[in-house]
Amino acid sequence: MVPPPAGLPLLRAAGLTMTYPGGTTALAGMTVEVPRGSVGLVGANGAGKTTLFRLMLGLMQPSAGWLEVTGRVVAHDPVGVRSRLGYMPEHDCLPLDQTAADVVATFGEIAGLPVRAARQRASDMLDLVGLDEARFRPIGGFSTGMRQRTKLAQALVADPELVLLDEPTAGLDPVGREEMLELVGRLAGFGISAIMATHLLDDVQRVCEHIVMIDRGHLVLTGPIDQLTQRTGVMRVEVGGREAAAEALVGALAPHGMASTLIDDGTLDIDTRDRGEEAFDIVRDATADLGLRLYSLSTRHRSLDDLFLQQAGRP
Amino acid sequence: MTVLPPTLSGAVYDRGYRPYAGPRGGRREATLAVWRLSMRRALGLRRSWRQKVFPWSLLAVATIPAVVFVGIAWALRQDTFELSQFLAEDFLSYREYVGVSTALLLFVALTAPDLICPDRSQRVLPLMFSRPLTGSDYVLAKVGALAAIVFGFGFLPQVVLFVGRMLVSDGALDYFTDNAEVLWQVPAAVAVLAVYYALLGIALASLTDRRIVGGVALLGVALVTSAIAGIVEGSSGGDGSALAVINVLALPLDVRDLIFLGHLGFDSALSGVEGGAVLATGAYLVVVLACVALLLHRYREVDL
Repeated sequence: MVPPPAGLPLLRAAGLTMTYPGGTTALAGMTVEVPRGSVGLVGANGAGKTTLFRLMLGLMQPSAGWLEVTGRVVAHDPVGVRSRLGYMPEHDCLPLDQTAADVVATFGEIAGLPVRAARQRASDMLDLVGLDEARFRPIGGFSTGMRQRTKLAQALVADPELVLLDEPTAGLDPVGREEMLELVGRLAGFGISAIMATHLLDDVQRVCEHIVMIDRGHLVLTGPIDQLTQRTGVMRVEVGGREAAAEALVGALAPHGMASTLIDDGTLDIDTRDRGEEAFDIVRDATADLGLRLYSLSTRHRSLDDLFLQQAGRP
Repeated sequence: MTVLPPTLSGAVYDRGYRPYAGPRGGRREATLAVWRLSMRRALGLRRSWRQKVFPWSLLAVATIPAVVFVGIAWALRQDTFELSQFLAEDFLSYREYVGVSTALLLFVALTAPDLICPDRSQRVLPLMFSRPLTGSDYVLAKVGALAAIVFGFGFLPQVVLFVGRMLVSDGALDYFTDNAEVLWQVPAAVAVLAVYYALLGIALASLTDRRIVGGVALLGVALVTSAIAGIVEGSSGGDGSALAVINVLALPLDVRDLIFLGHLGFDSALSGVEGGAVLATGAYLVVVLACVALLLHRYREVDL
C-alpha cells in the first residue's frame, strides 16, 4: 500500500452526518478541512467529539457525507486508516494485571509491528513518557498520571501519523497535567499530528496550533489559533491619582475620535482600531495632561474562552 | 576538585523520538497478535505462578489415564498372556479417550471468560479495535486460541497413548500399520470437540462482563441440558428420543462416534432414533453456527 503524500490535510469532511438509530443526530452536515499539526477539538459534552473520533477510526459508517483522514477515505479503507492512527481514550482502558511493557508491546503487535520491533518500541515509548523505571510493574499499581502516560505510550508505539487524544489531562493533578501537556506539545516535533478532544480551552491554547470547535453536532469555528486570538483592537487602561480618573480620561480622548468604554472608576477600554500604534502616545499624553497616574496599559487579545462564549451564544 | 578525563565522566544523551521505518502488518498480523496474547493468557505465560498452576495441572490430569494405561501394559509386558488380555479389554480406547472431557470442560469454563470478559469489563476493546483489527478478527483470534489449547490438551494424551501402546505391543510397526486410521480419526475428533467447546465457551462468556458468570453459564448449560436429555431418555423406555438432541455436550461426542465408527455409539441417547446421526450432526452444526453468529453480533462494533 502506497502511503498518501505527507502534505495532504489531516482531516477533510464534507456534509458529514451521523444519526444514531434512536434518532439522535450527533453530527449534522459538518464540512471542515484541518491541516497537519496539533489540533484542538473543542466542544461541550455531547457536542459530537467522540462520534467524530469513531467515524475517523472507521468504527461506524456516517449516515451521510464523506470523511478523509491523513489522505485516506475512511469508508474505502477503514483498516488502512486505523493502521496509521494511534488512539488514547479518556477512560481507563488498560489491563490491570499486566506490566506496562507487556501492554504497550502487545498493542504494538496488534498495530502490525513485528514482535521484536514492538518490544523495542514499547521500551522506547515508555522511556519517552517517563515510565522507564516502572515498565515491569503491573498497571494495577499505577497512579492516574502513570496510567495516562501508559495510554499515551501505547498510542505512540506504532509511530502513527496521527494520534487521537480524548481528554488526555482528565483526572490529573496540576503536575501531571503539566507533564501530559508537555508531552502532547512535543508530538509535532516528532512528526506526529495530534487531535486533542477536550473541553479545557486552556489546554488547547497551550499546545495546539489549530482549533475545531463543535457544538451539538455543528461546526461553529475552525482556524489557526494565533489568527483567531489576534488583537481585538481594544486597549485596556488602568489609571488613578484622583476620583473618577477613568471618566476624566474618557472625556480627554473623545476629541481624538477614540471611543472608550468605562469599566470602573479607574479602568476603561479604548477602541484603537482607527489610530493604530499612535493610540499609545495619545493615551500617554492625555494621562499626563490630566495629572493622572498610569498603572497599566495593554492591548487585549481575544481568548478561546471569548470565542467559545461568543460562538455558543449564537442562535 | 577532581576532574575526570572525558572517557570516564560519561555523557547524557537525549535519544529523542525515533520514527519507525520497518515492516507493518495488517489484519492478519493483528489477528495473530491477539491470538498469541490469548494463548499466553490461557496458559499463564508471563503471569504469576498461580495462573500457571491450573492449565498445566489440567494437562497432567488429562494425560494420567494414558500414562497409567501404558504403565500397566509395560509392567505386564513379560507375561504375554496377561498383556494380551489387558489390551483386549481395551479399558481406554482412542474413541473413548476423546470423550474423557470433564477436565477439558472445566478448563473451558474457567478460561473462556478469562480470555474475553476482562477486555470488556476493563474497556480494553476500544484500544484493540482502534488498530487494524475487526470484530471477526477478534473472534477468530480468541476462539482460535482456546480451541488450539483444548486441541493440544486433548491430543497430546492421545499421542502418549498411541506411542505407549505401540512400544508395549509385540511389533511396533505392525501396531502402527494396524491402527493407522486413528492417525486421522483422533485429530479430527479432537478438533471437532475443541472447536465446539471453544465456540460455546467464548459465546456464552461474551454475554457478560463477569468471569464467574461466564464460567457458571457454560457449566449450567451443560448440566441443565444433560439433565433434561436424561429425563427424556428415561421416559422413552430405552428406545431413544429425538429430544435427547438437546444435550449440547453430547453432540460433539456423537460426531466423534461418526468419525471413529461411522455410526452413533450404542451409549448415545440418539442411537435408537431413526436418522439420529443426521440429527446429531445437524444439531452440532446449528450450535456452532449459532455461536459464530452470536459472537459476530456481539463484536460487530465497539463503543469508544
